[in-house]
This record gives sequence, C-alpha cells and structure tokens, in this order.
Amino acid sequence: MASSCYITFPTIFYAIRAESILKNHTCSFKMVPVPRSISSSCGTALRCECSDIYQIKEYLLENNLELEGFYRLEEEGLKTPAVKVLNLDYPEVDK
Amino acid sequence: MSNKLNLYFDNAATSWPKPEAVYRAPEIQMREASGNPGRSGHTRTLESDRLVYRAREAVANLFNVEDPSRVIFAYNATDALNIALKGFLEKGDHVLFTAMEHNSVLRPLGRLRQEGTIVSDVIPCSEEGYPDIESLEEAYRSNTRLLVVNHASNVTGTIAPLEKLIASAHKRGVKVLVDAAQTAGVIPIDVQKTGIDMLAFTGHKGLLGPTGTGGLYVSRGIDLKPLREGGTGSQSESDLHPASMPEKLEAGTMNSAGLAGLIEGVNYILNQGPENIRQAEDSLRKYLWDKLQNIEGITLYGPKSSAAQTVAVVSFTIDGADCGEIGYILESSYGILCRTGLHCAPLAHQAIGTFPEGTVRLSPGYFTGIEDIDFLVKALHEISKLAAG
Repeated sequence: MASSCYITFPTIFYAIRAESILKNHTCSFKMVPVPRSISSSCGTALRCECSDIYQIKEYLLENNLELEGFYRLEEEGLKTPAVKVLNLDYPEVDK
Repeated sequence: MSNKLNLYFDNAATSWPKPEAVYRAPEIQMREASGNPGRSGHTRTLESDRLVYRAREAVANLFNVEDPSRVIFAYNATDALNIALKGFLEKGDHVLFTAMEHNSVLRPLGRLRQEGTIVSDVIPCSEEGYPDIESLEEAYRSNTRLLVVNHASNVTGTIAPLEKLIASAHKRGVKVLVDAAQTAGVIPIDVQKTGIDMLAFTGHKGLLGPTGTGGLYVSRGIDLKPLREGGTGSQSESDLHPASMPEKLEAGTMNSAGLAGLIEGVNYILNQGPENIRQAEDSLRKYLWDKLQNIEGITLYGPKSSAAQTVAVVSFTIDGADCGEIGYILESSYGILCRTGLHCAPLAHQAIGTFPEGTVRLSPGYFTGIEDIDFLVKALHEISKLAAG
C-alpha cells in the first residue's frame, strides 16, 4: 500500500507561490489536481513524500504562505484512498 | 512597415510600437499553454496559473509591492479605478479629487454622487496643472475618506506632487488612490516609499503591453468590496465569492494571453532600466517643447519651463486654427498621428483655459526618434504659417 502526502491551499495564488518558493528547496514535490477524497478550496495541491511534509510546511510558513490542510492518502490501486488528516504542529507526529 | 506609421505621437493614448516579445508572447500563450488559470489541475491550466503568477510578480517587482497577492488584474486603468472607487467608498463618505482627473475617475464619482452614496469636492489646479495644496488643506471634512490623484495629467503631462499630497491626506487618516495611467512604466513608482494606498495602472501605455491589461495595487489594511463576483476555480461549493486576495477582486477567466504580453512589456522596462526610460522620454519632451516654443502662433500648455518635471506629453493650440483641423492636416499631409480635443478630462481643460475647444496633444514615446520630432516641428511651422494667413 503506497502512501503520499498532500498540502492544500486557500487559493491558486498560494499554490503557485509555494511552487515558486520551493524551486530552491531540496525536497521533491509535484503540483497535482486535488484528489477527490480531499476537500480543498483550491483545485491544485502539492504532493510530496510523507517524510518531507513537515519540512516543506515549515519552509512555506517561514515564507508567509497561507496553507489550508495537510493529508496522508493510503492508496491501493484505483480504489478510493483512505485519507488521514495530519496535525503537523510537531515534527514527530505522523511522519 | 510604412514610414508614416513611425510618426506616431499618441503614446499617451496607447504606446506604439511594442517590444517584439510583447507581440509574440500572447500567441505563444494561446498556442502552447492556453489552459484556464485556476480551473482544474492539468498541465495546461498549471502553465497558465504560473503565467498569471509571474505577471503579478513582475508588476509587484516594478512598483516595489512586498506581497504580490495585493496586485489584482483588471481590463485597464478605468476598470481598476472603478474597482477601487466602488469597492472602497461607502454611504456618507466625502471624497476629494484634483481637477486634473480623467473621466475614468470623474464619472464613477459622478454616479456615486448621483445615487446619493457620496459627496465630493474638487481640488482646483493651477494653469500649469498643479493641485492647490492650500485648497486641499481646507477641503477636508470629518467624513473625508479618500483623496484621488492623477499622478500625471494626460492633457499637460504635469506630475502631481505625490509626496506632499499623500502626507497631507495621511495626516488626517485619509487614504490616497493614485491613477498611474500616464506614469506606470515611465516614472519609477515605489508604493512602499511613497505610502500609496491604492495604485491603478494600465498595461497598454507606459508598460508597453497589450490592450485589455491593467490592474490595481491595494495596500494591506484596505478591504475592497468586489465589483464583480463569479467563477474563480476555488471554493466552488460556496455561493459567496472567495474573501482572499487576489481572487477576491478577480472573477471570471483571466486575460492570460494579454498578461503574457504584459510580462514581456514589464521585463523590457526592467531590462532597459526605468530611470533610463524616464530620462530618454524626458529629453524627447524637452526637445519638442523648446522647438515648439519658437513657433509663432503656437500656445503651449502645462508647466511653462521645459525643465519642469512632466511626462512626455505636450499640449498646444495654434492661433486661428481649430484643433481637429490641425490634427487632420498633420495626418493627411504629413502622416503624423496625434490626439485632438478634450482628452476625456474636462476639468483639466477648464483649469488650463482650453475648455471647450481643447488642445492638440503630442505624446512621443521611448521609440520616438529625434528626426521624427524634427519632421513634426517642420510640419507645425508650415501649419501655423497657413493659419496666420
């Protein structure tokens, strides 16, 4: 079962700003359509390795980005993935 | 390209020619990206999203705006001014504006006045087009919320003393909306240093971009009621328009093709250096002013000395000749394009004493050559001789 993590944004402005700011960051990520199982204000989300999500979140907040939510999706083929809403207040949580 | 078209002296209306990349970029955007920005998440849409973001960043960079989300796009300066005036003003507000304002300010204010939403007063301007600071000081009321200033007159080129006007308004807690239709791209503007609260700009004049582009900078702390609401691609389940900037003030599909051109216009300006563009246009204006001063029968309007700080606009009349007729002869006999009449600024003409006849307006641009001005001056010598009979 593969899992990947997602960050959602209040508007497309912040999604694209995140992409632009992360250009110089070492973590790899991708801008993707928001999976149907996640609720988001903006249709584009950032997908990354779950081991990187805390670091990415911190970097974006340092750059005054407005973020909406953090999620982990457990994917199994084409089935609807199981969603876990992440609390990223502390780095050790939900790695 | 026809040589006649090179004698274009109407850059205050819309700049021509544009840098080559400005012509090319909209076509590339339409052919190769073309997704609807903010809608869905496929690669073409994302490419368009990135383009709109780059446009915001480019404009923010040019005006030294700290947070690009405070730059919103509109069709032109008129549209931006409508968004600012109708989004900011509330029932019972008192508004001040200078006599040099364009109809893009006068008419929205006229409607708000007619509907009984606001009251307003005009700050008189001198014959040279400068607002009278003493009159301004006396015009404030307890309900004054906004001062509207035309950064530079499209009739005389006069540059308003922004620092003095902003200091005066801010001392009383009054916000300042600046109409930069004639200055964006030709006079360096720093919204942080000057303390401008709202700045309306157009893309197709000094910014050298396509028509249909323009926008508004809104400083933090100013919350405008949207003029238009609709699709944004975000929060689609809600029947209320999103409250976060920049989407709050933008509804419907963005002009991504136009913005692609605008980015190239702004990049061209940043590469040339805004100071260098200013200097080049200033010397063209001074050269033209000094030559016209020596032609008998010509009356020039605006700041009297060629050394005055103005944008590249020269207004004049010829004794015994109708403005429209002068414009017609300039084009039909010499291939020179200019604007004649009231230039959508009736109060400005009253201030400088050319109402209702208007003036002939010449506005060279960054690409105008000295030889073009020499040819124009020769033509005006001949026309004024003709007028003197």
